[in-house]
Amino acid sequence: MRTPAIAVTGLGMITPVGNDTESTWDGVCAAVSPARTVPALEGCAIDFACVVDGIDLDAAVGRRTAFRMGRYVKFAVLAAREAVADAGLDPAGWDGSRVAVVVGTSSGGSAHLTDQALVLERRGPEATSPAGVLLTIPNMPAAEIAIEMRATGPSMAPCTACSSGVTALSVARDLLATGQCDVAIAGATESTVFPIAMTGFARSGAAAHADGDLSRLSRPFAADRAGLVMGEGAAVMVLERAADAEARGAEPRALLAGTGATTDAHHPTSPHPDGRIARAAVEAALRDAGWRADEVEHVNAHGTATVRNDAAEAALISRVYPHRPPVTAPKGVLGHCMGAAGAIEAGLTILTLQRGVVPPVANLDAPAPGFDIDCVTKVPLVRPVGRAVSHSFGFGGHNAVVALQRP
Amino acid sequence: MSTIDPRITDVLSRTFKVPVAEIHPEATMDGLDMDSLAAAEFAVVLRETTGVELATGTLTRGTTLAELTAHLHAAAGTAR
Repeated sequence: MRTPAIAVTGLGMITPVGNDTESTWDGVCAAVSPARTVPALEGCAIDFACVVDGIDLDAAVGRRTAFRMGRYVKFAVLAAREAVADAGLDPAGWDGSRVAVVVGTSSGGSAHLTDQALVLERRGPEATSPAGVLLTIPNMPAAEIAIEMRATGPSMAPCTACSSGVTALSVARDLLATGQCDVAIAGATESTVFPIAMTGFARSGAAAHADGDLSRLSRPFAADRAGLVMGEGAAVMVLERAADAEARGAEPRALLAGTGATTDAHHPTSPHPDGRIARAAVEAALRDAGWRADEVEHVNAHGTATVRNDAAEAALISRVYPHRPPVTAPKGVLGHCMGAAGAIEAGLTILTLQRGVVPPVANLDAPAPGFDIDCVTKVPLVRPVGRAVSHSFGFGGHNAVVALQRP
Repeated sequence: MSTIDPRITDVLSRTFKVPVAEIHPEATMDGLDMDSLAAAEFAVVLRETTGVELATGTLTRGTTLAELTAHLHAAAGTAR
């Protein structure tokens, strides 16, 4: 089946460096990580993270509904509003039966499940929230967006750990390609900065432990990379068939040219040692886009700053793209926004295509010896980029890659 | 003259983001756009903040804030 061209017509983001798309872009280009000590994590082995800040989420979400939404749901609702407005669409006027919502998450409302468990233990069942289930189940970002925007088409929450965002874009693309909707609101959200998750994270071996300046701790592709720093946030996009976007006079930010996904089926946390399954995801995305590898002009890497991911990914990049396209890794600034990371990085890749600017990898002077890749460092690289890919590799071995193109 | 217990005003404005201007003694749950789930949450938060147990059925769609205040004070009086 020849799939129709898919346009990204709207983008919304809320991240540790900004509460909308523009401020996020500025923050990522500035390449300074906002990692800081988080009071709620007092006493935890890892008591710091990159967190969304400077916004009253409940007030922003609006009255009577914030109480039933987990923090990750609020992020998604706010990003979706920005994306839909950016697309020039108005839910008051659209045919909601033709609108799909696909918003992924990795951990869902695990933070709120923990809160409710403590309330149950300490205060008894009468003290627990009647909204307790809603605060926990991972489909609620999609459901709350659908409720607010009267979107009655298909909706769901892809859950593929750190690649959930790219999986969501891929599923949304398929819903559009198969005519199941005319507009897809797609992305991912995550907020997992709470003591139980952070303690588990500290014990997982993947986490960077505090060592001096927290803003310099997340160092993707560096020889002295120390592990990943936790982040949180959301990115949501509006996708339409390009012909429909053109017909209504909407200017696409980018085209979603292709997606590819594979599963390591090897180990829950360790990448497949020879990297061929992850590579197959990249090759599938390129095939789907109809691109040769040497046509890729930029790679927005997964780049978690863990020893293993970055070694495996650097090997993959140098092998698949021997022409050395410029590479960035936003997790140096944002930390690892987990389930939201793939969506946020796809959003940043779109901005790179639009603006001809590749943000630098924060906290990196040069890639580790042996990494034969061209990382952008220190300052943004100003260069027209027509075709770019964004990699996401999730715990569990979920590999997902999206190919994005300037219209 | 009926008044509203300040703890009611506090929970409505803080937890439910109801504008203070809309919080008046004759306002009902319905009138404040508090649906059944919001009202159930409201009852739990009130109980947790005041320590006063509201009898089942005390908080309905038509309950006014003046009535709720009276319930709160009566229940507190009984408890003492």
